[in-house]
Amino acid sequence: MTTDRPASISTLAVDWGPEGQPGDTLYQRIDGQLDYPTDLLNLPGLLHGAILRSDQAHARLLAVDTRVARTMPGVHSVVTAEDVPGLNRFGIVVRDQPVFCEDRVRYEGDAIAAVAADTPAQARAAIAAIRVEYQPLPVVEDAASAENQPALHEGSNLLAQESLTRGDVDQALAACAVVVEHEYRTPRQMHGFMETEGGVALPDGNGGVLFRVGCQSGHRDVEQLADILALPRAQVSVEAMTTGGAFGGKDELTIQPAAGILALRTGRPVMIHLDRFESCRSGMKRHPVAVRMTTGCDARGHLLAHRVDAVLDTGAYASLGPAVLENFMDHATAPLYRIDSYAVTGRLVYTNNGLCGAFRGFGGNQATFAVESQLDALACKLGMDPGELRRKNLRSRQEPGSRGQPVRWTAAPATVLDAALASPLWQPGNPAGARWLTGTGLAFGAQGNGLGDGLPDSGGGRLSLTPEGRIRVEFGFADYGQDIAGAITRSVCDALGCGSADVEVVLGQSRGPDSGPTSASRSSVMVHGLLSRMLPEWTQTLKRLAAELTGQPAEDLAPGTGGLFLQGRRLIDYRELAGKAPPDALVAEAGQDFPVAPGQETPVGRYLQLQIATIARVMVDRLTGRVRVTDLHHITAAGRVIYPPGYLGQIEGAAVMGLGMTLTEDMPTRKGRMQRDNLDQYLMPTIGDAPAQRVDVVDDTPENDPYPIRGIGELGIEAVTPAIVSAIEAATGVRVRTLPVSPSALLEAIQAREAQS
Amino acid sequence: MKDGDQPLETIRFELNGQAVTRSVPAAAALIDLLRDGGQVTSVRPGCRIGRCGACNVLVDGQVMPACLVMAWQLPGRRIETVEGLSDDPDYLRVRQALARESALQCGYCTPGFALSLVSALRARRQGGPADLTEALTGNLCRCTGYGGLKRAIERHLGPDPTDPSVA
Repeated sequence: MTTDRPASISTLAVDWGPEGQPGDTLYQRIDGQLDYPTDLLNLPGLLHGAILRSDQAHARLLAVDTRVARTMPGVHSVVTAEDVPGLNRFGIVVRDQPVFCEDRVRYEGDAIAAVAADTPAQARAAIAAIRVEYQPLPVVEDAASAENQPALHEGSNLLAQESLTRGDVDQALAACAVVVEHEYRTPRQMHGFMETEGGVALPDGNGGVLFRVGCQSGHRDVEQLADILALPRAQVSVEAMTTGGAFGGKDELTIQPAAGILALRTGRPVMIHLDRFESCRSGMKRHPVAVRMTTGCDARGHLLAHRVDAVLDTGAYASLGPAVLENFMDHATAPLYRIDSYAVTGRLVYTNNGLCGAFRGFGGNQATFAVESQLDALACKLGMDPGELRRKNLRSRQEPGSRGQPVRWTAAPATVLDAALASPLWQPGNPAGARWLTGTGLAFGAQGNGLGDGLPDSGGGRLSLTPEGRIRVEFGFADYGQDIAGAITRSVCDALGCGSADVEVVLGQSRGPDSGPTSASRSSVMVHGLLSRMLPEWTQTLKRLAAELTGQPAEDLAPGTGGLFLQGRRLIDYRELAGKAPPDALVAEAGQDFPVAPGQETPVGRYLQLQIATIARVMVDRLTGRVRVTDLHHITAAGRVIYPPGYLGQIEGAAVMGLGMTLTEDMPTRKGRMQRDNLDQYLMPTIGDAPAQRVDVVDDTPENDPYPIRGIGELGIEAVTPAIVSAIEAATGVRVRTLPVSPSALLEAIQAREAQS
Repeated sequence: MKDGDQPLETIRFELNGQAVTRSVPAAAALIDLLRDGGQVTSVRPGCRIGRCGACNVLVDGQVMPACLVMAWQLPGRRIETVEGLSDDPDYLRVRQALARESALQCGYCTPGFALSLVSALRARRQGGPADLTEALTGNLCRCTGYGGLKRAIERHLGPDPTDPSVA
C-alpha cells in the first residue's frame, strides 16, 4: 500500500482552479438572491404555523384545551396528538419521539400542539391561548444515575450499552510502570446554524405533500413523513433546499411533521420557522459526555493498557444517539495508537435534559479530547516529550485498526505527526509576559468516513445532458453550505475537460436519486465513486453520438468548454448535440455501496480513515482567566484535494466550532431546563475570537488508490479541543478536564499554583 | 400586516431608492416589514435580539439590525439592503473580496456581513475607525470560522481605503 515517492506536504490556499474565479452561486448568496427555505414567504396562500411546546421538563399531560385558540382571528387549524393521521412517532434509529405528546411530556420543548394562521403573530397568539394541564413528574437530570431512576420510556433509561475489549486490561494495568486516571466532561453544545429550523409544507393538490425545507436526508425523511401522514411514499416528496447551516442538527425531522399535518388539514402551504428562543429550547444538541479513563504505559512510554467508562446523555429521545455512542466508542479505543489491552464501556441514557443527536464530530471529538489528554498526562508523568510519546506508540500504515479491522489511510500516521512536530508553532519556550501567559499544545486525531460498523450505507447518482446542452449531475445530498456542488462541478470539469458553466448540479430532490444521508463525511467519497462509475461510459456515448453527427472519428474528439473539440477546434456544441441525440441516449445512472474493507463479512468501524494533527497557540489572561487562541495549525491527511476553497473552509470552520465547544459554548440544564435562550448568553465565537489558521495537506495517497477522495466535513473538529487544552497547560501549568474552560476556575487554579511556587 | 388589535400607522420611508408607504403598528420591527410577503429576503432573522447581524440593514448609511429598528423610527429614513446596492462601489468591492477569498459557506449570514463592511468602509473614509475586523464583531457566522472574512479584509479591504487594487 505504501509508495516509494515521498509524501507531498503543501499549505492550502484558496484556489479557484483553471477558471480562476468562484462560481455564480457564491455571488448569488452574497447578493441575497438565493432563497433559503424560510425565505419562501411569497407563496400564494401561505399560512404560518407555530408549535406549542411543553414548559415542563417532565410531566403527565392531563388536558390540552384548544377551544379558545380555534376561535382566534386568522386561525385556520389547531392540531394535537389526536390529529396525527398516521404514526405519532419518529426517530432515525428508534421511533420514540411523538409528533405531538399524548399523555406525557419528556423535555422542556416537547411538542404538544400546532396552529396554522394567516400571520406569524396570529399563530403565536393562538398558541398562547391553548390551555395545558400538567402534573409534574420527578425530573431525571443526572445522567450517571439515570438508569436507576424512573424510566422515561418502556424498559429502563439505559438506551444502549456497548463494550469493546482487547486483552486483559486489569492484568495489563497492573504491569504498567506509569498509570494516569482522570475524568473528563464535555458540554451540551448547540449547532447554532444561522438559519434556525424551518421550511414549508405544500399540499400538491392530489392529497400529497411537498416539503421544501432545511434537512439532511430527504429520502429518509420521506419514509418517516409518509408513516406520520398515513400517505403512500409516492405522495410525499422532499426538496432539501440550500439551508443556512445544519452540522447534524437538521438530520432528524424538525418542523416537517407539524407543517405537513397542518398543510393537509388546511389545503394550503404552511411555513414553520422556529425563532432562536424556540430553537435553543427544543432543538438538537451535542451529547454531553462524562468519561473516566485509566491509561498506563511501561517506563519507556509504550502504552500497555487503557480503560474507559463513559456515560452519554441523549436526553428525552434516542434520535441518532446509539450511532453517536458507537462512534464515541471507536474513538475512545485510541485508534491511532497501538494498545494491546483495552476495555471501553459506554452507556447511553435517557434523561429529561433536552434532545441530543447528530453533531459534527459525532461523539468522536469528545473521545479524542480525553484520549489525547491522557497521553499528555502520561508524557508529563514520564518526563517525556509528548510528541515522542505519541511517535513511540503510533500505528504503522500497514497495521489494522484498533479493533483489528482493516483500515485505509492516505498517509502514514508517523508522516503526519512529524509534519506537526515541524510546525513553526511547536517551539519550546514561550516567555511569559506580565499579564498574558502563552503556550502551545498539540493533539492528533483520526476520523473515519461513512456510517460505519456495517450499517446499510449506499447511494446513487444520475448524469444527463439537458436540452439546453448542460451536463446535469444529480445527487440526493443536501447543500447546507459545504459547497458540495462546487466540489462536484470541479470533479466533472477535471474529468471531462468541460467548463464550469457547462455543468448543472441538482441536489436534494427526493424524486431524484437517493444518495443516502448528507452526514458522516460520506458525500465526497460517494460523489467520486459514482462519477467514476458513470463518466467513462457516458463520455464514450457522448463522443460516439458526436462522431455520428459530424462524421469525424470518435477517438479524435474530446469534450471541452461548450462542446466537443477536434484538434483544438470546437466541432459541435453540447446544445446542438442534445437537440440531435436520441432521447435518453445520454442518461447514466449508478449506485454503489459505501466502501468497506474487501472481503469483510461484517464490517467493523470505518475502513476509510483520515488524520489531523492540530497545533494550538493560546494566550491566557492572568487577570481574568480568559483564554484567547491566537493560532491554529492543522496538518491533514485526507486524500487528494479536489476543491481547495471547500476543503480549507471545512477545516477552518470545524476548528472554530471546536474552539467554541472548548472555551465558551454550553447549554447547561437545571431541573431539565435549558439555561440559555439566545445568542447573547450562548456564546459562539465571533471574528474577534477566531485565530489565525493554517491548513497543511499531507498527500501520500497511492497513484492507484481506489478511494483517493475522502470526506473532510468533520475532520477539523477532531483534534482542536485537546490541542487548545494542552496549550493552556503549557501556558499555565493547569490541565483543564471539564469543558468549556471556566475562566474563573482556571484563574483560581493559576493563582493557587502561583501561591505555591 | 395584520397584527392583532394594535392601531396601524402610516409610515413613509425610502427603501433601496424607492419611496415606500406602509400601514403598520408603530412597534412593528423593520425586519418583519421587509420580509412580509417575501419582499426583501436578504434581511434574515437569526436571533431577533440584535446579536447576530443576519438582519442587518443600512439606516442612513449606518449598519443596524433590522430586528431592533421599529416602524415609528422609520419616517424620513433611507434604508438600504444588498438588493439595492448592485451599483454601489463599496458594496461591489466588498462582494468581490468575499467571493474571491471564499468568505462564506451557507451564505445565510453573508448579506449582513457585507453591510457591516460597507458601513465601515464608508465611515472609515469619513475619518472613522479603520479596523474592519472590529466592525464585524456584531455578526455571527457558524460555517467558516471567519478565515475567509479575515483574508478578505487583509488582502482586499484592509490597510488603505483609497487602494483600488481589489483583484
